[in-house]
Amino acid sequence: MNGAVPLQNGDTVLLPERIADLTGLGELGVAGELLAAFLGAFIIANLMLAMTGVAGPWAKRKITAAFTDRIAVNHLGPAGIFIIVADAVRLLSKENIIPENADRPAYDLAPIVIAGSALLGFAVIPMGSGIHLADPEVGLAFVFAVAGIASIGLIMAGYASGNKYSMLGGLRAVAQNIAYEIPLVVTGMSVVLFAGSLRMSEIVAVQTETTLFTIPGLEWAVPAWFALVNPFAFVLFLIANFAEVGRNPFDMPEAPAELIAGYQTEYSSVYFVLVYLGEFLHIFLGGAIIATIFLGGPAGPGPAELGIVWFLLKIWAVFLLTQWLRSAIPRVRIDQLIEIGWKGLLVLSFANLALTAAIVGVIA
Amino acid sequence: MSTGIETQSDAETGEAELEALIGDRALARDEHLNAPGFVVNPDDVQDVLFDLRDEAGYDHCSCVTAQQYEDRFETIYHLKKYADPTDEVSIVVPTPLSDPVSKSAEPVYRTADWHEREAYDLVGIGYEGHPDLRRILLPETWQGHPLSADYDQEKPQVVTLTEHANPLESDHRDPESDTMFLNVGPHHPATHGVLHVKTVLDGETIADLEPDIGYLHRCEEQMCQQGTYRHQIMPYPDRWDYVSSGLLNEWAYARAIEDLADIDVPEYAQIVRTLGAELCRIASHMLALGTFALDVYGEFTATFMYTFRDRELVQDILEDLTGQRMMFNYFRVGGVAWDLPEPREDFFEQTRDFLDELPAKVAEYNDLITTNEIFQTRCIDTGVLEPDVAKDYGCTGPVARGSGVDYDLRRDDPYGYYENLEWDVVTRDGCDNYARVLCRMEEVEESAKIVEQCLDLLEDWPEDDREVQANVPRTLKPDADTETYRAVEAAKGELGIYMRSDGTDKPARFKIRSPCFSNLQALGEMSEGEYIPDLIASLGSLDIVLGEVDR
Amino acid sequence: MSSDEPRQTIHGSTAPSTDTREARMGEGVDDRFNSKLREAFGTSPFILTKFDQFMNWVRGNSMFMLQFGIACCSIEMIHTYAIKHDVDRYGAGVPRASPRQADVMIVPGTIVSKFGPRMKRVYDQMPEPKFVVGMGSCTISGGPFQEGYNVVKGAEEIIPIDIHVPGCPPRPEALIYGILKLQERIQNGESSPVVVKPYELEEFGDLPEDELVQKLASEIDEDDLVMRYNWADSP
Repeated sequence: MNGAVPLQNGDTVLLPERIADLTGLGELGVAGELLAAFLGAFIIANLMLAMTGVAGPWAKRKITAAFTDRIAVNHLGPAGIFIIVADAVRLLSKENIIPENADRPAYDLAPIVIAGSALLGFAVIPMGSGIHLADPEVGLAFVFAVAGIASIGLIMAGYASGNKYSMLGGLRAVAQNIAYEIPLVVTGMSVVLFAGSLRMSEIVAVQTETTLFTIPGLEWAVPAWFALVNPFAFVLFLIANFAEVGRNPFDMPEAPAELIAGYQTEYSSVYFVLVYLGEFLHIFLGGAIIATIFLGGPAGPGPAELGIVWFLLKIWAVFLLTQWLRSAIPRVRIDQLIEIGWKGLLVLSFANLALTAAIVGVIA
Repeated sequence: MSTGIETQSDAETGEAELEALIGDRALARDEHLNAPGFVVNPDDVQDVLFDLRDEAGYDHCSCVTAQQYEDRFETIYHLKKYADPTDEVSIVVPTPLSDPVSKSAEPVYRTADWHEREAYDLVGIGYEGHPDLRRILLPETWQGHPLSADYDQEKPQVVTLTEHANPLESDHRDPESDTMFLNVGPHHPATHGVLHVKTVLDGETIADLEPDIGYLHRCEEQMCQQGTYRHQIMPYPDRWDYVSSGLLNEWAYARAIEDLADIDVPEYAQIVRTLGAELCRIASHMLALGTFALDVYGEFTATFMYTFRDRELVQDILEDLTGQRMMFNYFRVGGVAWDLPEPREDFFEQTRDFLDELPAKVAEYNDLITTNEIFQTRCIDTGVLEPDVAKDYGCTGPVARGSGVDYDLRRDDPYGYYENLEWDVVTRDGCDNYARVLCRMEEVEESAKIVEQCLDLLEDWPEDDREVQANVPRTLKPDADTETYRAVEAAKGELGIYMRSDGTDKPARFKIRSPCFSNLQALGEMSEGEYIPDLIASLGSLDIVLGEVDR
Repeated sequence: MSSDEPRQTIHGSTAPSTDTREARMGEGVDDRFNSKLREAFGTSPFILTKFDQFMNWVRGNSMFMLQFGIACCSIEMIHTYAIKHDVDRYGAGVPRASPRQADVMIVPGTIVSKFGPRMKRVYDQMPEPKFVVGMGSCTISGGPFQEGYNVVKGAEEIIPIDIHVPGCPPRPEALIYGILKLQERIQNGESSPVVVKPYELEEFGDLPEDELVQKLASEIDEDDLVMRYNWADSP
């Protein structure tokens, strides 16, 4: 599905081009390039799905257990890692119940929309080691746009389930996403002001190529990662991102103690897996965006080939943070959440944007 | 505290004043062991109760007991004062078998609403002027009144599973409808069991709310009425408030039967009881804190797990003492089952270790929970329960104390060994969810103080004077027609028991006054006009246990 | 085991459902363990046997529990999930509040008349294959409350139970043992026979006409779902 993204010829060599070169598909003309693009998309989608596969049934449990003084799964294979197989196959083999009152096409589409929208976002993320599917000029805007599609999925799920708890969860999700999308995008814009481009590869390049300052005495240059250049924007973005992906303290759409399981209450079996995967994909997409625009993307010590490792590490760090917050922070109330969003974050993010614009203007 | 002699004379003058106040509306006198009783005509009840509340200051309708005699039905209103719970009076209202209807006390005390519904449900007495006299514990379609004399338990019953109606709008499927009816429970993660809250929502705001109980009505009163005083009743109290507050509940029965049969408990046994009971209170409040965190934080989080980690420690100590983790059955009529476990030093050491670590743990909870900014925004000024409303609903325990009502039976109506120990009653003026949480956390610290002092006393107690049980006859038959209503301060509040003896070895009527039953009634008052998350938080902060609500 | 047809037990439908129970009561291998492939092939080729073994291993090692608290036992059940006992070590410690996502229902407490139909409904809402652990004496026989006028004498009178864990309440260790036994049985493809014919949820109109039904006829609609308890000769 990522193949539909128009490819741009940037400075960097993109994954489909590499595949085309390696396999000789490029000689087959447009069809070959398209096939290469599909292959690339397939690789990236599988990488991400594998990650969520590890995160959902296993890592999440282990991390939560570590925060709560427990051990969690440890009987199946080393450190219980085979629970991933067991959980996945078992969930997929369950009976798929479709409620009588469900609004059929919407009910079936919602999980796909939720999971698919996150996968689309990864298309423009430069993951280092040459794993970069597409590099359009509007990269950042594209990511925000496709990540935003998820809220449509959520309201579809909530509305189509024919369950009052789902409905409440879906409505909450929409109110929340609208309230936090704007600060998210506006804060993202402040980064664009620095970088001077929406293209993801350039945002990364600006961060890695410039040096913020050099620590005297040590021959160590601190790169100008935007998290270091503008920590204020980084924190704003982090908070808005937690709300966007619906994690504590903003896990309103699910709110297990209040709404059973929110919009996903009625989903079972395959659909539930998709919804569950979608949630994790969105956390990872959020992590990927943060890593790319604030933490220098795949940058890190060592040869450039290690880029993907650093990039994944950064994503997992963000994931760890979400799990930490989930274990330790209470959930705010929906009206408080909206208030924080509209009265707090929105104002702060515009202030940040204005300030950044002023500074960038002065420096330039 | 006043000495016994003064109380005696106080009581006599009080009785004379009461007699004057009630005047010739009193048909006769009835002596209960705990309080003077006045038999009142069914039509005069409301007036008498109004007078007692407004002029004599009996602002606490502790319990309403209904029962059937061979020739009549009887409703007893057990009244108390929040300022002094030893100042009690019972208003006895007999009604004929043919037409068992008396005037409702609901206009006087809001709490009488549910109590009278229960009386109607289980015994079959009608209350004229009651706003909503429906069944409360049993399903609407139930036939017969199970605690009345002619009830046949073997008859089949039919229970419905139908859609509930929206009380605000007749046709809630109407697309123009502004409100949505939502069933919270009986299977819902935040109802702490099987409570069913019928809510009507306007957006996310609660427009109307009615707790629907009875999903765990296990006939506790019937079970106790079928058991003998000596041994068969004691296991049941453990199962009323089942969150490890068993010993506190057992004490309620122990206190009532010891009053009824006039048994003195050895001092040593009283100290052991106090020790065990306060450990139970710690365990129970830990659970309250943990589940409240569950309601406010979300799924099984660190705070929740930590409270359970500490509960395990308390349960280990209690297990060493009583032999069971939750259903202790440790108290006996006239004492406790056995002495502290041998070797005693180990027990003392283990308990002291726990107490030594407790302050650090409470500090951790304060760091994690109560000082958390988000937690405070969630809890402060939500679920507000004004002191007057709390009294009107008969709230007791941490719920009342969190609303600034200074009422604790351990101090105000002393029993056990509490009188001789140094501790404070915790009250908070916040009236909100936050105040109730803080109140419980501070009570944990106070309980730790009490346990510490009990340990000191037990350690130094002379070895030849460790009498754990009074000499109680094998078959206990209190005199016929003695009646008493006795209450203790359980984990959730005032847990009272009314017992009437008919001269046999089983009680003729055994009525449980559950603190949660009264506290839960206030939920509507606390939550209407607030949001769903506040409802969940308020429910958590009330700390109800359905086993005790439904009995 | 998926089906595209809407099931008849979902909210809004008034059709009584007894399919699950009948499947449990039937002869031979429990329906829960049969794969569609096996049905299609009729016999048991080697590969399918291996497949079945794999599926049983999967189901026996990973289960989501229904977050379902009734009475005293639920407190011990929470302890089983919590720090000291941590049943998640065995891959069985994820409580899901929605029955749609749960595999195992632990029935932790006394079932009373008013709750019976609701519990049945929650059980019906769970997707197959589903398993039930009855926790405590009350789910076996009514326990200490057996003689109560309002108490159902064991959860098995309402839903089929796979494993009974005795105790009042069972210690967390006992519950873990019960869960492990269930896992073992699932891995072996064994299921427990259901010997009682439980109370049904049926339409009021379908009840045999008797004195009680006549009395209630004005209160209950013909097509309302009801559960009729015969206290005198409970199943």
